[in-house]
Amino acid sequence: MSSPIPVEQIIEKSPQHLQAKPRLRLAPTKGWVSLNFQELKEYRELLFFMTWRDIKVRYKQTVIGALWAIIQPFLTMVVFSLFFGRLAGVPSDNIPYPIFTYAALVPWTFFANGLTNSANSLVSNANLIKKVYFPRLILPVSAIMSGVIDFFLAFVILLAMMLFYGIVPTVNVIWLPAFLLLAVVTSLGVGLWFAAMNVQFRDVRYAIPFLVQFWMFATPVAYPSSMIKNDLLRALYGINPMAGVIEGFRWALLGTETSPGAIIVVSSLAALLMLIGGLYYFKRLEKTFADVV
Amino acid sequence: MLNKRPIIQVNNLSKHYVRNEYRPSLRHEATQMVQRWLGRATQVSWQSEPFWALKNISFTIYQGESVGIVGRNGSGKTTLLRTLSNITDPTEGTVSVHGRFRTLIGLSAGFDFQRTGRENIYFNSAIYGFPPSVVDTFIEDIIEFSELRDFLDTPVKRYSSGMVSRLGFSIAIHMMPEIIFLDEILSVGDSAFQEKCQQRVLELKDRQCTIVYVSHSEASVRMLCDRAIWLHQGHLMMDGSVDDVFEAYTEMIHGEATTT
Repeated sequence: MSSPIPVEQIIEKSPQHLQAKPRLRLAPTKGWVSLNFQELKEYRELLFFMTWRDIKVRYKQTVIGALWAIIQPFLTMVVFSLFFGRLAGVPSDNIPYPIFTYAALVPWTFFANGLTNSANSLVSNANLIKKVYFPRLILPVSAIMSGVIDFFLAFVILLAMMLFYGIVPTVNVIWLPAFLLLAVVTSLGVGLWFAAMNVQFRDVRYAIPFLVQFWMFATPVAYPSSMIKNDLLRALYGINPMAGVIEGFRWALLGTETSPGAIIVVSSLAALLMLIGGLYYFKRLEKTFADVV
Repeated sequence: MLNKRPIIQVNNLSKHYVRNEYRPSLRHEATQMVQRWLGRATQVSWQSEPFWALKNISFTIYQGESVGIVGRNGSGKTTLLRTLSNITDPTEGTVSVHGRFRTLIGLSAGFDFQRTGRENIYFNSAIYGFPPSVVDTFIEDIIEFSELRDFLDTPVKRYSSGMVSRLGFSIAIHMMPEIIFLDEILSVGDSAFQEKCQQRVLELKDRQCTIVYVSHSEASVRMLCDRAIWLHQGHLMMDGSVDDVFEAYTEMIHGEATTT
């Protein structure tokens, strides 16, 4: 039998939280719960691990792997250009329609996949939830983070298209990471609600594809938000945070002249509210997942 | 025993489950809501038929103790372990656990069945907070102990149940926990492997690791534990030395067997 490594040696190498000897105290979850970000930080290794695992699964078990990340928004762009751009003649803020809609489809696809994957993350990891403890928040968060790779792949095509159309991004392009963050916050906020609900009500799984579809048409993906002439109404459109994200992307990359300032402020507030609400709802139900799932 | 520090403290722990495995659906909830508005609620809520898997359990386990949990099927043994290991919340009462713990419930201790054995070693360790760089220092020992070297790059879904439990057990004991919760795990695998596992658990015990061991096997509880807790239908029947508890427990089982 091989000799085991001395305890001290492993403890020395193990992360801080293991040395610190957690004092675990369990009592029924009632009322307002603490969000315990400290714990999430302690488990960041697991977060990276799960994210990486999701990415590997996606690219390994599919035949054309990474191409899926591009095909989805690209083909949608082709269809939209044909039906909305060419046939219906939808305006596009004086920008060639294909790139106008593709610049929206890149963040939209990221959001839609992140929402779907995070909403299903608890149910599809039921086996883990029943057997071991870890902050359950890791599952929906990693589901969204793993979509970032897909986003960058699709983004490369966007850059190629800008080159093709000879569009030079404005200096506002420095804001792009902020808009990506807004998309992350939105999909996590909504994803948390649905992930927790999905454990209780399996109906959620079937409702999500519809929701995503309706939500897309409620978002200026195929049309510009400038179709709304009233400034106040247009700002209120930002209650749908994805409207802010997409107007932001177009403004930063394609230099659309309609300033999206008001929309983005409203969107940021709305997204933040969704996230905070989602976090509390999720944490409140967290300890029931293992019993119900 | 008095000078040792308490590691696990359980106070009036109760755990409530719903007896009928009925999933509430949105439709059901919605009709209920409408009926309540109309003032003719049928009160057939999904929360009907309460079932107490654990009722008013209290005990304290001190450092270095190894405690066997015995009881018939459905007496609440696994629910107790799940509550102790933070997988599920108590309905009433409190549980305090002081220290790094490791749980082995059933065969798979949190495996991703699509992935290979090797990947699962890293994955499972990550769940317990060990980064890959640390796992690298003891992965050889895990592989050696599990006797699964030839199957390391095979997905765990193709493993036999014995292989899965061997891998789970090997990872668990190499993580040097301060507290280990074992659910029936030693009764899987062939007798040679069982013996090896028992040997390892005894080694952990020598290192002052606290062990909570759920088992139906009297022999293995006698061998590993110096204290036993007997659960019956969610109630704590007896907490004492292994000999005393088994005497009363077997007496009750025989009594039940002869009367029926």
